[in-house]
Amino acid sequence: MAEKVLTVCPYCGAGCKMNLLVEDGAIVGAEGAHGVTNEGELCLKGYYGWDFLNDTKLLTPRLKKPLLRRHRGEDLKEVSWDEAIQFTASRLQEIKHKYGADSIMLTGSARGSGNESNYVMQKFTRAVIGTNNIDHCARVCHAPSVAGLQATVGNGAMSNSIVEIEDTKCIFVFGYNAADSHPIVARRIVRAKEKGAKIVVCDPRLIETARIADLYLPIKNGCNMALVNAFGNVLIEENLYNREFVAKYTEGFDEYKAVVAKYTPEFVEKIAGVSAAQIRQAMRIYAAAPSATILWGMGVTQWGQGVSVVKGLSALALLTGNLGRPNVGVGPVRGQNNVQGTCDMGVLPNVFPGYQKVTDPEARAKFAGAWGVSTLPANPGYCLTEVPRLVKRGKLKAYYVFGEDPAQSDPDLAGIREALEEMELVVVQDIFMNKTAVFADVILPSTSWGEHEGVYTCADRGFQRFNKAIEPKGDVKPDWEILSLLATAMGYPMKYKNTKEIWDELRELCPLFSGATYERMEGLGYVQWPCPAPEHPGTQYLYSGSKFDMPNGKGILSAAEWIPPFDKLDEEFPVILCTVREVGHYSARTMTGNCRALQSLADEPGYLQINSADARKHGIDDQQLVWISSRRGKVLVRAQVTDRANEGAVYMTYQWWVGACNELTADHFDPVSKTPEYKYTAARLESIKDQAAAEAYLQTQYNAMREKLASVVGN
Amino acid sequence: MNKLVIADPGKCIGCRTCEIACVLAHSAADAMVRMSPASFNPRLRVVKTTTVSTPVQCRQCEDAPCAVVCPTGTLVLRNNTVQVIPSRCIGCKSCMIACRFGVIEVLPCEATLSDRPLVSGTHVEAVKCDLCENRANGPACVEVCPTKAISVIDAALFAQAGRKRREHAAMVQAACSPGEYPGQVGN
Repeated sequence: MAEKVLTVCPYCGAGCKMNLLVEDGAIVGAEGAHGVTNEGELCLKGYYGWDFLNDTKLLTPRLKKPLLRRHRGEDLKEVSWDEAIQFTASRLQEIKHKYGADSIMLTGSARGSGNESNYVMQKFTRAVIGTNNIDHCARVCHAPSVAGLQATVGNGAMSNSIVEIEDTKCIFVFGYNAADSHPIVARRIVRAKEKGAKIVVCDPRLIETARIADLYLPIKNGCNMALVNAFGNVLIEENLYNREFVAKYTEGFDEYKAVVAKYTPEFVEKIAGVSAAQIRQAMRIYAAAPSATILWGMGVTQWGQGVSVVKGLSALALLTGNLGRPNVGVGPVRGQNNVQGTCDMGVLPNVFPGYQKVTDPEARAKFAGAWGVSTLPANPGYCLTEVPRLVKRGKLKAYYVFGEDPAQSDPDLAGIREALEEMELVVVQDIFMNKTAVFADVILPSTSWGEHEGVYTCADRGFQRFNKAIEPKGDVKPDWEILSLLATAMGYPMKYKNTKEIWDELRELCPLFSGATYERMEGLGYVQWPCPAPEHPGTQYLYSGSKFDMPNGKGILSAAEWIPPFDKLDEEFPVILCTVREVGHYSARTMTGNCRALQSLADEPGYLQINSADARKHGIDDQQLVWISSRRGKVLVRAQVTDRANEGAVYMTYQWWVGACNELTADHFDPVSKTPEYKYTAARLESIKDQAAAEAYLQTQYNAMREKLASVVGN
Repeated sequence: MNKLVIADPGKCIGCRTCEIACVLAHSAADAMVRMSPASFNPRLRVVKTTTVSTPVQCRQCEDAPCAVVCPTGTLVLRNNTVQVIPSRCIGCKSCMIACRFGVIEVLPCEATLSDRPLVSGTHVEAVKCDLCENRANGPACVEVCPTKAISVIDAALFAQAGRKRREHAAMVQAACSPGEYPGQVGN
């Protein structure tokens, strides 16, 4: 009989509670548990996404021993933990003394590590290294949501909860494909529809939610700001907004009205590719609903003006009074299992844990006192996406990459590889050999989800405990323990008994989280922050009483002029490439690519979704291999002909090695959040006559990449 | 009346969790260790057209064309479902040609699943939805579907749904007062 270990799914941000079934020290299955967000349900990744723990080596091997090379060009060799820690500590010290603490960049991990290890990582960065140069993959996904919402309503997280989605009367979806990104959130949308909610979808692709929508706006790629302004224009011109709410609880109406004035539906028609009537209809449905929820994803944030568009969506909710009560709100649904938590833990260049600003002298004094250091750095640090440029300018010399794979996930991969080669020290702390680790001087192997415990924060600010199910194989350590050893070797004694001790330390320092004790999160326990005291019930929805987290309590109405996409189409590159997600694979795929069932559903080189008219024009048949190139690179990919994709645009997912779409994307950023414009790259397609040769080339490339990574680990 | 597994396209999100559950339900216990793209043959397949997403699987036809055309009696009616007797299958593909839904396939299989001696070539087996006949909890796809889009309909459910729909029709009929139309019965 299998033993059941209650834990939290390590994939998307839906926060599904699940049982791992353990027999003779090995995981043999998974089943849904009755968590608050998932109510017993799981998707394919939850049910069949655990066998990477068996080190299947389908894609890339587990890291089982510390690896080190003292000189570039040498092979990485297995060493003892003592040697790896001493080397890393002394190299970090040398670089810090030679170039200053701000020449070192570190990352947190929004994946399996958990909140405690991320808290320790930012403490190590700030108190031991002495810099605020810490960031993580929120930068390339929902950073604009955090920035845009903080600026308009005060808090960067989802205002309302996943459980409330099914009881709203209108779901307004903008650039968010719930079915592929969060199946267990998509389930709430389906239930809302069954309960009579109206559904409006704005997306260039006919996504699953668009199929069941009451109104679908098949928008043009790159129109977001113009369209959101037009929505605001309609709310004001048709007098659909809530005058009382706007007068009492917001400010900036006149400036807002002035900016959106020119964005009439008729003016925006051509930019957005949808009719003025559709634009008006969308707002009539949204404004008429007694309760309405806006949900958005990467289709809003991965643009050069993502922050402004988030502010614009926030304005729609403020104009209609859809904030501060149940079943309404603004919902940036977070992608990775613990990306909300990694933000919560202050793994960002501008805030300590609990969103306390590094520029605030009082906050610095509090953390310095608690951490036993005389001062903490006062200037916000660098962002993840700035790394290649900073290396070129000689500003960064060392990169400590913890549980991320920038050489797969960041834009313009050629630029990232150059930066990694240029660095004087690259440290990778991970569970799997990945594409970034190829460049490492030191590899520190850690325990995985399933092999350690801690707390994750799911997309709607819910803290939940996850548990250890099996013993790790190999000479690996929990992330927080590795960082403690390093801190100690660098002259800052750090020692924790367990994750609870770390959690209790951070609760003391963060008023937002202080009531969320381990005891309250026992079993299926779910505590949503803000939770300032042990007796506080936690907060299902923010801004109760329409009081916003702003100095004067008022929400800010904000609009900005539309800026067209950065990359330009021309005769040479006439097609738009947009990067998206697929349901069966997660993040950079080191976990799901090593799961047999998930790998059986989809494997290299990944799909290029293309409209049938475009496919005909290029002479491309369904399932054929094709070349796609941009001004930055060229990769091989398999065509999936579908009229769910709009004409003129093609879609790829970013987790593939052979079909790596980030070889093509540009490092053009939003000026505030520094988030790349992954959603718009000028590209060119080439059909391939000799398909058999292309298939053989694909296999050769794939095998060569697998062998290259495996050879580093010596398997 | 036969029972069948059927999905609601209004609830399906196209995630294919059902496909994996199906493969595992029809594999040996160590399937998670041995699964490969080549052996991944679910008995229901998620179809995505421009506007529809839904798994498609056997309708368990009352007058099943697959059974009618099978020359070896491989397809039989059992427990209100159409079932395969693998040892009888010779791989002639008549069933594939006859099936109007494209939901029966002849696939290579392991010798252990068939007790018929091999004449030549490889062992084959007609494969279709069997409503997880040998699974204690019933169809695996129904159990795992995250949006509860998949269900089993049997004679009792057909009767119940028919009754409900007729009741609804009666209400609609009353509301629209057909008797007021000239030329109707009674005029």
